[in-house]
Amino acid sequence: HEGLAPGCHLYPFNVTIRSDRRSTCRGTHLVYACVGYCESSAFPSRYSVLVASNFTHNITSASRCCTISKEAKVKVRLDCPRGRHHDEIEILTARACRCDMCRKSRY
Amino acid sequence: AMTTTLHAFRGCAVRDFSFVAQKPGCKSLRISTEACWGRCHTWEKPMLEPPYVHRHHRVCTYSRSRPMTARLPGCLPHVSPLYHYPLALSCHCAACSTADTECETS
Repeated sequence: HEGLAPGCHLYPFNVTIRSDRRSTCRGTHLVYACVGYCESSAFPSRYSVLVASNFTHNITSASRCCTISKEAKVKVRLDCPRGRHHDEIEILTARACRCDMCRKSRY
Repeated sequence: AMTTTLHAFRGCAVRDFSFVAQKPGCKSLRISTEACWGRCHTWEKPMLEPPYVHRHHRVCTYSRSRPMTARLPGCLPHVSPLYHYPLALSCHCAACSTADTECETS
């Protein structure tokens, strides 16, 4: 990621999917994440914010984070050895990125 | 040269910040202090299982601060002229904590 300019950009990575069925079927596909550096700042809160928070929020954070603004589904074909059949699984990929709302991370 | 540097800056650092301290019953006062500014590494990555997006959102905020007190001019007799605010000693990229921070995002 070190070569990235500020901003929020598409970033390719390979996804490998293995099927439950004896884990013998597998497929790999190139999909995109959004990765980048968006502006944020923190500064003393205005008096109205202090009053509204009962003087607990003495810092205000104004932030943007790198988000997926457009996504698409792609089909990944799982190939099985010896078997003639194959499965298809749909996964998400990013199509466009934007510095936008920060959300609570789940991880 | 400074503009170019900030234009490409990645990370989170202490930066000069000035604001107008205002509260009812006093005249306002411009205060120069230090706050936090920067660009934190953030990302969203599709994943196979719910919730289908693996997210890493961090914001540039205070890691260590010092409580400061300013004296506002022209306050009414029953109004305390004291105005408290934090000065940033160091900053870091972290999750915004609603315990002590007003988290605004767009």
